[in-house]
Amino acid sequence: MQNRPSGFGNPWLQLGLSVVCVIVSEFLLKRGATDIAEPDSAFSWTGINGLASPLVWWAILLIIASFISWLYVLRYVPLTVAYPLSRIVDVLVPLGCWIFLGELISALRWCGIALVIIGLALVAKPIAQIEERL
Amino acid sequence: MSILAFFFIVVSLLSFVLAQLILKRAMEFSATNGLRNSRFVSLAATGIALMTVSFFLTLGLLQRFDLSYLYPFQGLSVIFITLLAAMVLKEKLSARLTLGALLITAGIVLVSMS
Repeated sequence: MQNRPSGFGNPWLQLGLSVVCVIVSEFLLKRGATDIAEPDSAFSWTGINGLASPLVWWAILLIIASFISWLYVLRYVPLTVAYPLSRIVDVLVPLGCWIFLGELISALRWCGIALVIIGLALVAKPIAQIEERL
Repeated sequence: MSILAFFFIVVSLLSFVLAQLILKRAMEFSATNGLRNSRFVSLAATGIALMTVSFFLTLGLLQRFDLSYLYPFQGLSVIFITLLAAMVLKEKLSARLTLGALLITAGIVLVSMS
């Protein structure tokens, strides 16, 4: 993690941007895939028929954006740290559904969210200490 | 779940995990050797091709199953990628990082099963 750029080039900021793009694309993909679902067609196992949906194309644009940020992150951060942190997506998506869509979260799901947050804290804490020393 | 669905879920997960490892290697290589050399281009192209395979297989699966059903399998990628990055890419893996990755994996599986 030597020579880490600051400002827009900060790898942690880029990791955040990548995560936001992924979250939005997940919703777009599910909507798009549902809109054009053809479960009876064997060809649709390839997913290529999904390209008929404009939502899927928007999702692809966001995925490309998140991918560029992600490659940049990989240049500076070890995969053992960056990849687990990127899975904060799995907490933010259900929390977003709860806050914005009024969906209910079961007790078991809250436990799962808590486990992910504890895991993220374990992965992130040593980095926070390294950053402080720099 | 049919055998066919299980097959596509496994192939999609494997190609995603492999892609991440190859892309990490490509970016490490580019940090010392720059972007304009054939090794970087072939590594990055392989990684992107594997990501594309995984993307379209997931799109095919999403037409048949709920996102919440498919998500636990994506969650498994955390522990696979962490362990393989340590083994294949020789990244340092502390007990703390392993425990963190295990908790995140378990949490994702719980969230999507409930």
